[in-house]
Amino acid sequence: MALIAVIDDDNDILDASSLVLTAKGYEVITADNPDDGYKIVKEKKPDLIILDVMMNEPDDGFFLAQKFRKEKFEIPIIMYTSVSKALGLEFAAGEMVPVDEFIEKPISPDTLIDKVEKLLKLHYKE
Amino acid sequence: MFNKLMLSMVPDWAVEQKEFWEAIRRRNLWFIKMRYAMVVMLSIFLFITTFIFKINYSETQLIAGVIIIASILSYNVILHRLRKYVQFDVTRFNPLYLSLLQIILDLVTLLLLVYYTGGIESPLYMLFVFLVIIGSLILPGTLVYTISAVFVLLFVLLTVLEHYQFIAHHPINGLVNFSLYNNPYYAGAFLFTFAFMIFLSVYLANGMARQLYKREKDLVDSMKKLNTAEKEKQKYIMGIVHEIKTPIVAVASYIDIILQKFLGPIDETIEEKLVRAKNRTDEGVQMINDVLNVSKLTLYDQFDEEEIDIDEIVSGVVKRRKISADAHLIKLNLFDARDKKEKIKGDKFLLDIAFSNLIGNSIKYGVDGGSVEVTINSDSSNLTIEVCDDGVGIPENELPKIFKDFYRAANVKKIIAEGSGLGLSVVKRIVERHSGTIKAESPSRMAKKDYPGTCFTIELPFRRKEKDEALVEFKANS
Repeated sequence: MALIAVIDDDNDILDASSLVLTAKGYEVITADNPDDGYKIVKEKKPDLIILDVMMNEPDDGFFLAQKFRKEKFEIPIIMYTSVSKALGLEFAAGEMVPVDEFIEKPISPDTLIDKVEKLLKLHYKE
Repeated sequence: MFNKLMLSMVPDWAVEQKEFWEAIRRRNLWFIKMRYAMVVMLSIFLFITTFIFKINYSETQLIAGVIIIASILSYNVILHRLRKYVQFDVTRFNPLYLSLLQIILDLVTLLLLVYYTGGIESPLYMLFVFLVIIGSLILPGTLVYTISAVFVLLFVLLTVLEHYQFIAHHPINGLVNFSLYNNPYYAGAFLFTFAFMIFLSVYLANGMARQLYKREKDLVDSMKKLNTAEKEKQKYIMGIVHEIKTPIVAVASYIDIILQKFLGPIDETIEEKLVRAKNRTDEGVQMINDVLNVSKLTLYDQFDEEEIDIDEIVSGVVKRRKISADAHLIKLNLFDARDKKEKIKGDKFLLDIAFSNLIGNSIKYGVDGGSVEVTINSDSSNLTIEVCDDGVGIPENELPKIFKDFYRAANVKKIIAEGSGLGLSVVKRIVERHSGTIKAESPSRMAKKDYPGTCFTIELPFRRKEKDEALVEFKANS
């Protein structure tokens, strides 16, 4: 089953996401800050990354996503957003931020699973 | 080069200020209207003095008079037309140039008029003072001083040429029956006083105009400071509200996980309580989003403008809201009564928020088994979207207050305790951003016994007012 990395500074969100994903049979690794997040992705090469937009600094998630893309990590990325729309950064995926999907918090388990499945199917057709 | 000169004389703050350009534009129009009045007055003056006071004008004077009046009228008509095409573009022919052109044309015609009515013997010379005062109110000081100096010199030259008989003198026979122009002492004293009067008028009028501009600048500065303070406050609010949202969304995520049985089966009583807990956290999140939306509207003046299919947005909202409508057994229907589907310019995201709020309200304050009707219609100039329900309605005396921040009608508070009272004020702001209007009616056309219901009608113009477009254009150019 696919390996998914979840990076968010809120440990409860990490826990909740892991619960949902493991229940569906995915393997999950987590990190609660961008540095550790970068490390686990580099070492474990997950099949999918879930990333929160805002961590310690408002744009931590954006920068980390950009860093992955710059270093040629082609792993699909889902971004958790909380105030994205309210902040006027109503981004279409891939436009401003190099990510594949957005999920608005609070995270509904159905949406999360739905988007994860779709992205994995799209990226790993073969 | 000339343009630079003109601009250097406009106060720095004013170049970017639409108020400044609007003021100049308005003064130009006023100037043009005054000139029409002047044409009428001069014609009457000529008529009365000729036929009633029997002043004996020479043939040259009469012809010159008629030609001058006719030319004032014709260049005024041209200026009037031209004014419409003048844009707020500081690098091109702008309202300031139009003012300059008008003053120069007026001074030239007045000089000719004075010449043909006796030079320094003409009573009309006093109009020069009037003209330079108007000029001082519109044009930069240095320019008005220069123009005044040139015209004083021209007047002196005219008098000297008449005195030495290089050009003909045209006295008004019957008004002044002795000649003054050939008396060098009188001419000298007259011209000196004239020059003094002109420069004093420019000095005084220009000083006043400058003070006025300074006041206006102070006002603009204070407004800017106020705006900055307001934005700082909104940023602070957004920061706090976001902090509050973080734990709430974590709670909501956990509840969802439990409710969707990711942790195994749960007791029915617990499930029921959890559903209620979930509803309350959802409300909290909704309120937080409302506050964030209001802050966004204040904080970011950005407005994405694109061509929009209104039925795409409205039907999207109806589809999303259908679930909660079904839960309350409320029939939610969308009607498109338009003959022709014309697109409208606006911000998709903001309009979505507006309709989502309105339709959401209708469902929230509806009664089980009731219905909500959303109707799209249009005429040649406006798009109308009507959201009507047969719900609890709004008491008549509270109707005027419902669009205010944090306002919630008394009858609504009794039924549903929660709600931030921000929804409708957000909707109103969004509609106004689109130059549209919103009104609420209760009882609605769907009123039933005990349930008056409410109708909200939004009107969005296909084309915004000319003023808005001019401003957009101005911003784009500057």
